[in-house]
Amino acid sequence: MDCSQFEEFLHDLDRQGTDGFEHREIALAHAETCSRCAQLLTQAEWLDLVLRSLSTREIGQQVSPRVEAALMDEFRRRRAATSRRRVRWQIAALGTAAALLLALGFALRHRTGPASGPVQHPQDASALSGEGKPGNAANPFSPAAAPDSSGQEEAVAENQLDDSEDATAFVALPYADDSAARDGGAIIRVVLSRPALASLRMPVTDLGATDRIPADIVVSEDGAPQAIRLVSQSSLDQ
Amino acid sequence: MEMTQTTDLTDDRLLRRMMAGDEGAFAHLYRRRHPAIYRFALHMSGNAAMAEDVTQEVFMTLIREPGRFDPARGTLGGFLYGIARNHLRKRWEQDRRLVQFAGDGEELDDLLSNAAASSNGNGHRPAPAVRDEFASLETVSQVRQAISTLPENYREVVVLCELEELSYEEAASALGCPVGTVRSRLHRARAILLEKLRDAHPMRRISAVGE
Repeated sequence: MDCSQFEEFLHDLDRQGTDGFEHREIALAHAETCSRCAQLLTQAEWLDLVLRSLSTREIGQQVSPRVEAALMDEFRRRRAATSRRRVRWQIAALGTAAALLLALGFALRHRTGPASGPVQHPQDASALSGEGKPGNAANPFSPAAAPDSSGQEEAVAENQLDDSEDATAFVALPYADDSAARDGGAIIRVVLSRPALASLRMPVTDLGATDRIPADIVVSEDGAPQAIRLVSQSSLDQ
Repeated sequence: MEMTQTTDLTDDRLLRRMMAGDEGAFAHLYRRRHPAIYRFALHMSGNAAMAEDVTQEVFMTLIREPGRFDPARGTLGGFLYGIARNHLRKRWEQDRRLVQFAGDGEELDDLLSNAAASSNGNGHRPAPAVRDEFASLETVSQVRQAISTLPENYREVVVLCELEELSYEEAASALGCPVGTVRSRLHRARAILLEKLRDAHPMRRISAVGE
């Protein structure tokens, strides 16, 4: 080892994990043969000594207890604030979820309305007949009886009948209650025999025939049939 | 596992517990780490009040933004030194009079002398090594004064690597610079210190201590 290498390692001779520490023995051997490097080593060791002494004297340094008290107060305050914020987030999340569920519920309710299938309101029944025009006295659900029916609803309702279908006007059943039928009845497509239709006071000819005739029945909310109409289908006629 | 004493836990685990709201974990972390931060701030500023304020700010930052600490980038100790360094620089910018440690060191000397007396007198701390007796209070005071007049970059590596006995890697993490930079700064700082102290201590006296 030469003097320049010695100077390079001089300050790391006691520092573990450094090149200086690894070359410590060689460096010390060099210092024994070089008076200049020996003096440098002496100075470095003296500096280590006083720095260590300074470090030892400072171990007792303490921060005033008020600092710790202030920090603990801040910690508790932040923790409480975080807790409150978490509760607010939970409430907001629950509120959002509830709103979404409500919206979903409304959407589903709208889907199960007039356009979704065979279930119809009685007002629509008059339109389905295709005869729900003012002045039609034979229809118990005429616009006079259901003044809320609009032309738009009528158009929608007419679409419920296939192009190949034709229907008579709704005729109230003998034991029907009109007002009940108007309160949200549904239309059900059934197929009845001629004697069964005759028992409902429908004008049926040729009671001995075995064919079955399709009909729409208006059922009130309590499940009681309220009115009936006959439906003729070209496919059935064939 | 839940029954583990906080004294047995690593800094990282204490920090995680602290983040979960464990007050005891924070208290332990503070008691474990604040003395070194305070000494660093005291040496860098030469002002006990400022060192105390900086120590408080460091741990306030830890309370408010614990997520800023990334274990992959270094130790918690290094992270705290880094915060302390930033706060010191802010203070210096606010008060240019304190950029340089211009005091005569009397306040620091008094503090450290009292601390040394209490640490030796209560029997709870080890007495200084026999060789330390050779470093008189006057000599230690002169070294402290010499350190305080070092440029900031050199002063901080001396405080961290020599007084706080951090490794080069830990100091580099705290200072945000390469290990080689820390090493070269420390070597240069030690050379400057020896030069300053040579004026105060005739070489024959330094040599006599070493013999």
